[in-house]
Amino acid sequence: MENNSCVIKVKNVSKDFIIYGDKANTLKEKIIRFNSSKKESFHVLKNINLEINRGETVALIGVNGSGKSTLLKLITKIIYPTKGSIVVSGKLTSLLELGAGFHQDFSGRENIYFNASIFGLTRKEIDDRINDIIEFSELGDFIDSPVRTYSSGMYMRLAFSVAINVDADILLIDEILAVGDKHFQDKCLNKLLELKKQGKTMVFVSHSADSVRFLCDRAVWLSEGKIRMDGKTDDVLGEYIKECG
Amino acid sequence: MTLVSNLYKYREFLKTSILKDFRGKYKKSFLGVLWSFLNPLFQLLIYSLVFPHIMGNRIENYTLYLMIGLMPWTFFNNTIIQSAACIVTNGGIIKKVFFPREILPISTLTSNLVNFLITQIIVLLALIFSGVGIAKSIIFFPVIVLLQYILQLGFAFIFSAITVYVRDVEYIINIFMMLMFYLCPIVYEPAMIPDNLLRFFKLNPMFDIITFYRQILYEGVFPDMYSVLKIFIVCLFFLCSGYAIFKHLEKRFAEEL
Repeated sequence: MENNSCVIKVKNVSKDFIIYGDKANTLKEKIIRFNSSKKESFHVLKNINLEINRGETVALIGVNGSGKSTLLKLITKIIYPTKGSIVVSGKLTSLLELGAGFHQDFSGRENIYFNASIFGLTRKEIDDRINDIIEFSELGDFIDSPVRTYSSGMYMRLAFSVAINVDADILLIDEILAVGDKHFQDKCLNKLLELKKQGKTMVFVSHSADSVRFLCDRAVWLSEGKIRMDGKTDDVLGEYIKECG
Repeated sequence: MTLVSNLYKYREFLKTSILKDFRGKYKKSFLGVLWSFLNPLFQLLIYSLVFPHIMGNRIENYTLYLMIGLMPWTFFNNTIIQSAACIVTNGGIIKKVFFPREILPISTLTSNLVNFLITQIIVLLALIFSGVGIAKSIIFFPVIVLLQYILQLGFAFIFSAITVYVRDVEYIINIFMMLMFYLCPIVYEPAMIPDNLLRFFKLNPMFDIITFYRQILYEGVFPDMYSVLKIFIVCLFFLCSGYAIFKHLEKRFAEEL
């Protein structure tokens, strides 16, 4: 395989969200407001072009509402672009929100199975990884207690451990390192660095300049749905901090 | 084809979610999975008391007759009603993780299939102990189940997707199913329908499917191949159009939920 081949190709992508004044979810409301549907479209992303090559770690930076998360969701195919196309080659895992689909009454171990299966792993693959996952989460004996008894830190640790061990080629990470204590944060960053060295591709959304510097070679600055700047992490971060503090 | 390869890739998720649907339904209830037996049994008991004694039915072995039609109906009814809600209730994961969305209606349907097959044990026992016996035509049973599965998969795709956009569908279906129950030959014989109306009754594919079940189990005759083929094409049509509708609507699931 070519080393610098493009694995994520975002071409002329625009995304509009339709904002309903007050969304009509039922038939009654739809009929009543048949004529007065207050639809407003909101352009979140405007004609984005972005190519990410194999093995790159790219940070997406920008103020709140600049479209970073929307772009990640588009790449994961949770939502679809209004215009343009996105081509992804390779197995992709997104850590957009940790612990999605965790079942409160199930134990940590059962949730590992359930959560990893959502990521598309088979029973055997999960069996092979379960010890690594439990070890990484540092949950110890709590792994067999129901997840509802966990603290938010434990919950997040478990979720992160599952997601990081899925063994994807491409990782999309959305500001998930904000939770957890310093020790675990460092551990996660080091794990991500290790994955980077293995040649994984990563797209990383973060407000922490330190983590971005630590992990990423390239940064893309999104501003009001457009790419403002794309280049080396230090250059882009420098400009970004100058303007946005 | 991508559907099949996707399902294969996500087979573990499909399996766990079928199990979750199946177990979760009776979770925290005292009798647990036993309810999948008890529910249809009591329904059967009530109908077999009401219809012959009050309505004056003259069908031989009425309880058995009723049972063979009622169980597939329950399968149909539960699948449609539950699948209409399945995308909406799983909104949480749909908004956060990518996975083939088809898995949700498919697992709802398949957990109901498991339930249905369990209830068929009662039917088998009843056939043996009532003296009707099991005829050779029972080898057609898997074919008819497959027909019903294909049909319901089509409906499950359609209703699960539409409900995301119009939540009322969930309630409208409940009413519609009440009507459908009487449009199928479950508590009565097809012969009781006036000739000029029979054509309209037959527009409902469940009418024929229930008739097939009855032919192979109750009457012990092989179904007419021409009608089986005809219904198969109808079911396939519903599946293809259902899948197309689902694929079209799924793109905005995460935004509509």
